[in-house]
Amino acid sequence: MSDLYVESIRLNVNIPYMGIYKNLIFATMLFMLSDLAQSRPVSWAGGSTIMYRTNSMMSSYTFHYSPTYKYSIGAEYVNDRYFNNHFINLRSTYLLDRHNTKISQRNIYLTGGISTKTNQDFSYGIHGDWETRRLFSSFSLINKHTKEKDYTENEFQLGVAPYLGKYDDIHTWVMLKAKKNTINNNWEIYPFIKLFQGDFLIEVGSKNSHWDVHFIIRY
Amino acid sequence: MYKILVMFMVFTVSSVSAMEKSGGHGHGSHNDESHQHSADESVNGSDTAFPEKMFSEFTSDLANVQIVIVDVNGMVCDFCARGIEKVLYTDDAVKKVGVSLELGKVLIAYAPSTKVDFEEIKNIFLSNGQNATGYIIKKI
Repeated sequence: MSDLYVESIRLNVNIPYMGIYKNLIFATMLFMLSDLAQSRPVSWAGGSTIMYRTNSMMSSYTFHYSPTYKYSIGAEYVNDRYFNNHFINLRSTYLLDRHNTKISQRNIYLTGGISTKTNQDFSYGIHGDWETRRLFSSFSLINKHTKEKDYTENEFQLGVAPYLGKYDDIHTWVMLKAKKNTINNNWEIYPFIKLFQGDFLIEVGSKNSHWDVHFIIRY
Repeated sequence: MYKILVMFMVFTVSSVSAMEKSGGHGHGSHNDESHQHSADESVNGSDTAFPEKMFSEFTSDLANVQIVIVDVNGMVCDFCARGIEKVLYTDDAVKKVGVSLELGKVLIAYAPSTKVDFEEIKNIFLSNGQNATGYIIKKI
C-alpha cells in the first residue's frame, strides 16, 4: 500500500419485481454494499488476511490466503441485513504484473469470484494500482453477473499521505473514491481515511450519512 | 468529474516518473561512502550508504554479528513490508531485522558464522513481492 485494493463485495439478493424502483433500489444497494478500499488482494507467500467490514446494510467476514505472492484465494461470509440473507462468496486474485522501482510499485491484477448462493452469480475483472509513499492511484473494472442483472463497475481511487511515517509508525492516507456502474451510470464520489500500523489496518468512510468501516489483520 | 480524475492521475504518474528519472528520495545519488568501505565491509550492487546514526540505533543492542543492508525496490508501504520481516524471522540465524521505508533498505543481523547468500535473500524478498537489488555487509 498503499496499498489499496478494492475487492468487489458481491450483491447476491433476490429482488422481487418492483417496476421502475427495482433498478433504483438495486443500484442503491450496490453502493451501500460497495466496498471501501481494501488492502492488497495478495500478500506474501504463506500470508493470511482476515477482514471485517460493516455498514448500514450489511456486515461481512473475509479470509484469504496467499500460497505465493502471485495469487490469493479466499472466502467471504456476508450477513445481508437489508434482505436478511446469509451467503458465502469465494474469490481468487492473480497478480498479472508488478513493476517495482525504488520509490514506487505498480500492479495489475485479475480477479474473479463466485457465490455459493446460486450458480448464476459470479464476477471477474481487472484491477490496477500505482503507489509511492506519498501518492496512490488505482482503477478497477469488474463485470458482475447475478440472477437479477448483469452490470459493470468502474472505480478510481486517489490518495495522498499527509505525512511520511517510518516503519512501525501509524500511517495515514486520505482517499477519494469515484465509482460508477452500468445500471445507473452516475458517478458517486466520496472520501475516506485509512490508518494502519503493524499488521492492523482500518478504513473509515461515510456515504449518504452512513458510516462504512473496514478492519484488516494480516499474519 | 471523470475528466478531472483522469487528469489528476496523469499528473501524478508523470510527476513520479520524473522523480524516478531524476533520482527522487535521494536514490541515485551514489554517495561515495558506499564505495569507501573498510576491510570488514563488502559491497555488492548497493547504490547508497546507510546513515551512520540509523545504523548505530539498529546495532545498539547487538554485538558480534554481521549486518546485511539490502537495497529493495517496491517497498513503498509499511503494511506491505511486513512480510519481509515475518519471513526473515523464520530463519534462526537472523537476530534482528530493521526496515527503512524512507531509504528503501532492510537491515538483517545474522549470526557471525552464517554464510550470507544474496540469491537466497533475493528469493525471500521476491516471495514478498519486492526486489532486492544490492547489499552491503558490515561486521560488528
